[in-house]
Amino acid sequence: MNRFDYVRPSSVSEAVAAGAEPGSAFLAAGTNLLDLMKGGIARPTRLVDVGRIPGLDAIETLPDGGVRIGALVRNADLAYHQEFARRFPMVAEALLSGASAQLRNAATTGGNLLQRTRCPYFYDTASACNKREPGAGCDALAGENRQHAVLGWSEACIATNPSDFAVPLAALDAVVEIEGRGGRREVPLTDFHRLPGDTPQIETVLAPGELIVAVRLSADAAAFAGHARYLKVRERTSYAFAVVSAAAALRIADGRIEAARLALGGVALKPWRAREAEAALAGASPGFESFQEAAALALAEARPSGDNAYKIELARRVIARALTLAAAGTPERLPALPGSPFASGGSLHD
Amino acid sequence: MTRTLTLIVNGEPRTLQAAPFASLADTLREGLHLTGTKVGCDAGDCGACTVLLDGEQVCACLVPTAQAEGRAITTIEGAGPAGLVDRLRESFLAHGAAQCGICTPGMIMAAADVLARDPRAGRAEIEDGLGGVLCRCTGYVKIVEAVLDVARGANAFAAKADAGAAVGARLARVDGRPKVEGTDHFGADHQPEGALWLRLIRSPHASARFALGDLAPVLARHPGLARILTARDIPGENAFGIFPTIKDQPVLADGLVRMRGDPVAALVGTRAAVEGFPDADLPITWEVLPALHGAAAALAEGAPALHRAVPDNVLTRGRLERGDVAEGHAAGAATASVAFETAFVEHAYIEPEAGYARRVGDRIEVTACTQAPVMDQEEVARVLGVPMHAVRIVPTACGGGFGGKLDVSIQPILAVAAWVTGQPVRIVYSRIESMASTTKRHPASIRARMSADGDGRFTAFEMEGDFNTGAYASWGPTVANRVPVHAPGPYRVPHVRNRTRAVYTNDTPAGAFRGFGVPQATLAAETLIDDLAEGLGLDRWTIRRRNALDHGDTTASGQVLHASAGLPQCLDALRDDFLRAQADAEAFNRTSGRVKRGAGIACMWYGCGNTSMSNPSTMRIALRPDGTLTFFNGAVDIGQGSTTVLLQIAADALGLAPDAFESVVGDTDLTPDAGKTSASRQTFVSGNAARLAGEDLRRAILSLANAGPDARLRLEGACLHVENGPASRVIDLTTLSPDETGAVLSGEGRYDPPTTALDANGQGVPYATYGFAAQAAEVEVDTVLGTVRVTRIVAAHDVGRAVNPTLVEGQIHGGIAQGLGLALMEEFIPGRTENLHDYLIPTVGDMPEIVVHLIEDPEPEGPFGAKGVGEPALVATAPAILSAIRHATGARLTRVPVLPHRLHAALHAREAAE
Repeated sequence: MNRFDYVRPSSVSEAVAAGAEPGSAFLAAGTNLLDLMKGGIARPTRLVDVGRIPGLDAIETLPDGGVRIGALVRNADLAYHQEFARRFPMVAEALLSGASAQLRNAATTGGNLLQRTRCPYFYDTASACNKREPGAGCDALAGENRQHAVLGWSEACIATNPSDFAVPLAALDAVVEIEGRGGRREVPLTDFHRLPGDTPQIETVLAPGELIVAVRLSADAAAFAGHARYLKVRERTSYAFAVVSAAAALRIADGRIEAARLALGGVALKPWRAREAEAALAGASPGFESFQEAAALALAEARPSGDNAYKIELARRVIARALTLAAAGTPERLPALPGSPFASGGSLHD
Repeated sequence: MTRTLTLIVNGEPRTLQAAPFASLADTLREGLHLTGTKVGCDAGDCGACTVLLDGEQVCACLVPTAQAEGRAITTIEGAGPAGLVDRLRESFLAHGAAQCGICTPGMIMAAADVLARDPRAGRAEIEDGLGGVLCRCTGYVKIVEAVLDVARGANAFAAKADAGAAVGARLARVDGRPKVEGTDHFGADHQPEGALWLRLIRSPHASARFALGDLAPVLARHPGLARILTARDIPGENAFGIFPTIKDQPVLADGLVRMRGDPVAALVGTRAAVEGFPDADLPITWEVLPALHGAAAALAEGAPALHRAVPDNVLTRGRLERGDVAEGHAAGAATASVAFETAFVEHAYIEPEAGYARRVGDRIEVTACTQAPVMDQEEVARVLGVPMHAVRIVPTACGGGFGGKLDVSIQPILAVAAWVTGQPVRIVYSRIESMASTTKRHPASIRARMSADGDGRFTAFEMEGDFNTGAYASWGPTVANRVPVHAPGPYRVPHVRNRTRAVYTNDTPAGAFRGFGVPQATLAAETLIDDLAEGLGLDRWTIRRRNALDHGDTTASGQVLHASAGLPQCLDALRDDFLRAQADAEAFNRTSGRVKRGAGIACMWYGCGNTSMSNPSTMRIALRPDGTLTFFNGAVDIGQGSTTVLLQIAADALGLAPDAFESVVGDTDLTPDAGKTSASRQTFVSGNAARLAGEDLRRAILSLANAGPDARLRLEGACLHVENGPASRVIDLTTLSPDETGAVLSGEGRYDPPTTALDANGQGVPYATYGFAAQAAEVEVDTVLGTVRVTRIVAAHDVGRAVNPTLVEGQIHGGIAQGLGLALMEEFIPGRTENLHDYLIPTVGDMPEIVVHLIEDPEPEGPFGAKGVGEPALVATAPAILSAIRHATGARLTRVPVLPHRLHAALHAREAAE
């Protein structure tokens, strides 16, 4: 590991000032950053440990009925927060389907949104990677790429975003509160991560020194609580990143879909919101045909970036399945157990 | 950059100097010498380093030390909340939940977290809470049982055995307590004072020439470095390899690399210096050459030779021919063929290679994890250019091996570094380095054909298999020779022709991995048997039962099985279960849509010991004047339990209780050669040596006491009671004169299994005995998403005699987990899956319910009738799962692992064909 400087600011404003210095990186729980530093992939010269800044670890209900999740709220605390899980079950389900108990006990809300891709070429310093070393090229393009992106990718980068948590947040129009030297600003989660384009090294809209302080969900998002599921296909039962996942939420009244929310994970460098599919679902009656149509619309622009054409078809199926599960209603048990198709019991047999 | 930090560890404040961003795991281990917290991956993937932080489980390898300041840290060395850790320790011991023990501290801490939050946790909660700790030995079955018992409030009780009653008893492992207390010392847990550290710089290229520049300026720029070792610094022969005539792997590459990960230089210095050294600072120029990936590329016309001595890249050819295979096919009513492909599979033991070496005068001592201490001794001696007796190998606790620690890895270079610097030198492979550089299971391309007559009796089997052995020979020849014997499976087949090739490529070397190629060959053969059953309209159980090898049958190598051939009993034991599962699945599928169920079945056999080669073991038991009874056991226990099993055998042969003994295990200065822990040979081969040693000592005692053969022994301090009715007497050991080792009475046993050489057609007696098994698998397949869940496995294994049923079950559970991984998820891709989140092994939630039937068809040649089970445990699982997927969906899979994208493609192809 490199030698670094280490500072521990005691307030957001101190952190923002320290984080703006060249070579600085914010350290929250470090579950991703420490790993990247050990491998020589991230080489900050200064770690700004924001882990003990007071006031960032609260889950607050807002006057309008929404919720504000502090950036340092740990994934496990959020997932097991009864009130939160009751109102945003899809988010809890996504959190519990991610990583392992150990990591969920450490990883934070802000850190989860900033985790780097798991593309093996990004991790292998002997490989060319435009994200790690701009202009170096992308060895994944002609490499082992069956797990790579099918939406929104570019010739410069075909990696995917590994977060489960971000997928339902994108579907539910979460807002990211950001603090920088210029003050506070808000960005919709769907605009927070950037597609690779020609600059895959720039992954989010954060400017140097800007810090996520909270993520907000509105009362409107809670209105989907009755019909909301996160479905994740992975290659083993626990601690595996999504091959494809979907967050699907419906508001159903009188047998018709009033509104739908749909986002995909594992298919792009950002959580992929499927607005056209949502529009098509609005007003439709829930069922095989409308779900198939939504799935087709969501993947209309998809194209393989390598040996991964199957992911397009799999994503359609995951969407249709997630919508079917959502239409059937959110399960009683909260927080819901991981929605993995591997999980025994309820979800597999219906 | 370090600062003074205060940590509260197990209730005690501890102040130390540490880098604030150093991982808590490292600070605990190296700063506070609390080595109970293990590091398996250093990346949060394996959970071995799990500790409690303010009562909640976290991976200590990903916690920056500064963030733990002021918070309560509980490690395996502590008592945990409400004494939970203590209760879990006892339960783990009693259940046999710790095998190698490397994951045990993390597992216990994770369980403590679950039970502290939910004292009455059920199976689902426990599986959820343990989902982040990987275990490669146990299949998690006994771990979950142990935790469930604590949740139920049951008191753990480990059985003891009286004199003469050890064999067959469910004795707790005699080396178990340090494993559950976190005090067992694995390779990285030895921290000799003043040790230098060693790190290898490895090739990023799979095939390249290279030249190193002047190293003197580099050393000057990095004052913490003592030496940069290169090929020219190797005092003896810069080569190692399993076979005496094939020493083809360099300790440090000399101008040419043949695989990604070949070491080109070794840094020796302070830990900070070797870890902080940027690899780019090594002056090296590369000339990258085209690389041969996969056996087909290496066999192609005009492919360059990897090794000069092998111009066609074919390292070994294996062959077996019996009868006339064309005639056999002609006699068949049905014939099936298959082309089967398997991937590289990684052992994924949770302990990466680690240890240290020190020079003691003109001798060298290497303390490291290994499966083969005497082979390590030979290799180190040759590399150093010193005689064998100048090398001492002290095996540490071995955190899993499965064949991957049979080859030397760190031993030669550690020895060289300690030899030339005169200081102790440590090394700990990183997870990536371990996976990138050490051996794998051979990827196989198998083409096979099989015929059966109208009654389903097999008439012919033939196969050709190419095994990608990677850049170096390792155990490639063993695979090429073992496969032809086993390929037709445990069945009567009159006409057989098998041919194999082990092929050099520029891939990671493939070597020994639980089964030496037999699992790959079994996948092909069992697929053909399902084909024939389908073609002939026979039930899959019936066709296997009708052809199963039985007492008096002749194998494909012409060996007559005179005894201990229990496959028919194995099949009978699971018949009802299999037929019920088959019928249930078919009933379910008639009305189900998306989800289909299936039942599958497969059989296996496996020869215990090396193929047609002498592989002796020697064991010794000594009694000292003070009554100390010592079992000198050179067999390395890699978690399977040989330290316990061999003691049980020795104890009953001698006639004293196991707890009368102390054991000295696997130190080449102290224990006689017991060969390698491989080829499922320790229970059978070393077990016989242990039996003979016990009998030898008993004979000496009885003759001294002039007692009859039925006399009972009792050891009380220095008094050895020989109870034989009126002729009873007491031997006062202090009155006897000790020999040069200090023993007053001793026994020794040597055993080499009776085998014969194989002739040019592969005919002969390659093994003294075989393990047999049948396994039935039940699966649920989501045909829309392409996912498979194995719900139940019934495993019937003929083990001759279960010396310790708990340990035998543990082997079977663990083998099934590895077989499940082989079938469904494990695929090592060099350079791409060199960590435990891209390379997936089964987690606790992936495991099915397992029912074990132990069949005991005694082996007259075996100790108390026993034979090996280590490798047999794994072989039948993957084909049984594939058979079940096929039953569920109709998809005939011919490539493993069956990941969702492959199953998706197979189901899609099937839909298109309809």
